[in-house]
Amino acid sequence: MLDGAPCGVMTTLDEGTFVRVNATFCKWIGRAAEDLVGRRRLQDLLTMGGRIFHQTHWMPLLQMQGSISEVKLEVVHKDGQVIPMILNAIRRERGGRMVHDLAAYVARDRDKYERELVRARHRLEELVAETKRLHEEAKDRALFAEQILGIVSHDLRNPMSTIQMGVALLGRTAASPSQERTLERMQRSTERANRLISDLLDFTQARMGKGLAVAPKRIDVHESIGAALEELTFAFPGRALKHERNGTGECVADAGRLAQAVGNLVANAMTYGRPDSAVTVTTSIQGATFSVSVHNDGDPIPPELRDRIFEPMTRGSAAPSAVRSVGLGLFIVSEIAKAHGGRAVVTSTAEAGTTFSLVLPRGVD
Amino acid sequence: MSVERRNHVQVEGSGPSTMFFAHGFGCDQNMWRRIAPAYAKRYRTVLFDLVGSGKSDLSAYDPVKYGTLQGYADDVVEIVREFGQGPAIFVGHSVSSMIGMLANLTDPKPFAAQIMIGPSPCYVNEGDYVGGFTRADIQSLLETLESNYLGWSSNMAPAIMGAPQQPELAVELTNSFCRTDPEIAKQFARVTFLSDLRKDLPRLQTPTLIIQCNDDLIAPVSVGEYMHEKLPHSTLAVIENVGHCPHLSAPGPSTAAMDAFLAQEKL
Repeated sequence: MLDGAPCGVMTTLDEGTFVRVNATFCKWIGRAAEDLVGRRRLQDLLTMGGRIFHQTHWMPLLQMQGSISEVKLEVVHKDGQVIPMILNAIRRERGGRMVHDLAAYVARDRDKYERELVRARHRLEELVAETKRLHEEAKDRALFAEQILGIVSHDLRNPMSTIQMGVALLGRTAASPSQERTLERMQRSTERANRLISDLLDFTQARMGKGLAVAPKRIDVHESIGAALEELTFAFPGRALKHERNGTGECVADAGRLAQAVGNLVANAMTYGRPDSAVTVTTSIQGATFSVSVHNDGDPIPPELRDRIFEPMTRGSAAPSAVRSVGLGLFIVSEIAKAHGGRAVVTSTAEAGTTFSLVLPRGVD
Repeated sequence: MSVERRNHVQVEGSGPSTMFFAHGFGCDQNMWRRIAPAYAKRYRTVLFDLVGSGKSDLSAYDPVKYGTLQGYADDVVEIVREFGQGPAIFVGHSVSSMIGMLANLTDPKPFAAQIMIGPSPCYVNEGDYVGGFTRADIQSLLETLESNYLGWSSNMAPAIMGAPQQPELAVELTNSFCRTDPEIAKQFARVTFLSDLRKDLPRLQTPTLIIQCNDDLIAPVSVGEYMHEKLPHSTLAVIENVGHCPHLSAPGPSTAAMDAFLAQEKL
């Protein structure tokens, strides 16, 4: 009956020599029973890896716990082909000696499937390791770049202030009209460079630290912004800059930071807005919030740009390169709004024009 | 972390000297159950699991430290210092006989005798030296290990590592004596079978017994003879046994050889 069993059935001595073996197993491995019984040991039929495993795991386990199950070993066919098999074994005494009763079945499909799983796991592990490495590298590079940016902008301040002082000193002495024009250009350029430096410093602070530093105080927002706009008027000669005020009441905010935000927004409005139309700054106080808005007429911001306009390094491509900045202005506006517990928003259509607003909590009870 | 917990150290018996038992590649300290209890009547016995095996603390497994046999040997030095009383007799099976030798070479003072069961200084054939295996054979072993997790699954790890104070909580499952994290098993296999300590053999000054089986695939007789030739103070005892674990399959002849050697060394 065992000869026709759908699995390999055999008995070996303690040290592995076959005592009996059924026809199924013989057929699977291409050897006659007489070639096995009394002549070969189970381990002689295994691959080298299987033989070592047999010595280091199989034998001690059978000795210690009397049985072992679900072990997958490769049995070598007489023609050299390797057949994966699952083996179970029980060690017991029979006829005054210890014997091992074994059952084996061929597991080719299962073997293929398991190898696939093992390969997939290896690939996954490699991918995870690679992803982790790339992520760490990118983080390192970003941190390094931001640190360099911070250091360079900081160190640029000293030479810039020397140049600015020199320009101011030269301006006091008598100069020819053409020299004066040169000095004016130098003056404007150093101011632009200084703005760029403070933008870069704000950017690195916002990215590396916990947002921009603000020092909020009780202020009259109409007055604060009004004073800032007076200064801005001189920066854009020949352009109309209007201020509208709605509502009354105190707000708690950092007046310097608000002026910086309005400065960035007005500069953008002058650059991208229609030159023959006024730029309007509106300060509104309503209930528990206040807002500062800057409006200009002109072509609207394309929708795909509008969605990420407050991200760093984003800028409109319409303006000539001479008036373009590195694209930090709106990022800093948005960071200033965040540092006040509020947010920056934009609306832009062909009919209504473009309006950037900081919507902030008033911060007073 | 305590050495006791890290290596699941078990101390029994008492006597003028201490016998340390170190299991080999594959299983754990249960391997000694047929011979250690008898020695506990005459000696203080210390059984332990190598880190990564048995009930050792798997969180202590550092792939860099245990990337060489010296990492295991450093643990043995600590175990011998902490749990030894009187002269130390170090009984190592298979790779642990080499780990014991490295521990001895690191700090020879406590060691009075080394007993090596089925040792091999180098498993891979190198030039004229016949270790018995090729590198392809070791690769084949790694693949066999990969197909046989012996009841291991990652969600079982906490149960194995947990609660050393309450051993009854750790349920003994089928194949548990040989169960290890498959990644650790593979690295341990590589470290074991690809190590080459032949040049260290002449440095061992402690009297050494080599127990050699007459039919052992892992450590052939020629390797036992090589060990005997290179170790300055060694005794070679060849016993009748098929396989690599005579302390399990031939405990009588194994202890007879050990007792004769211990009597000769007056231990």
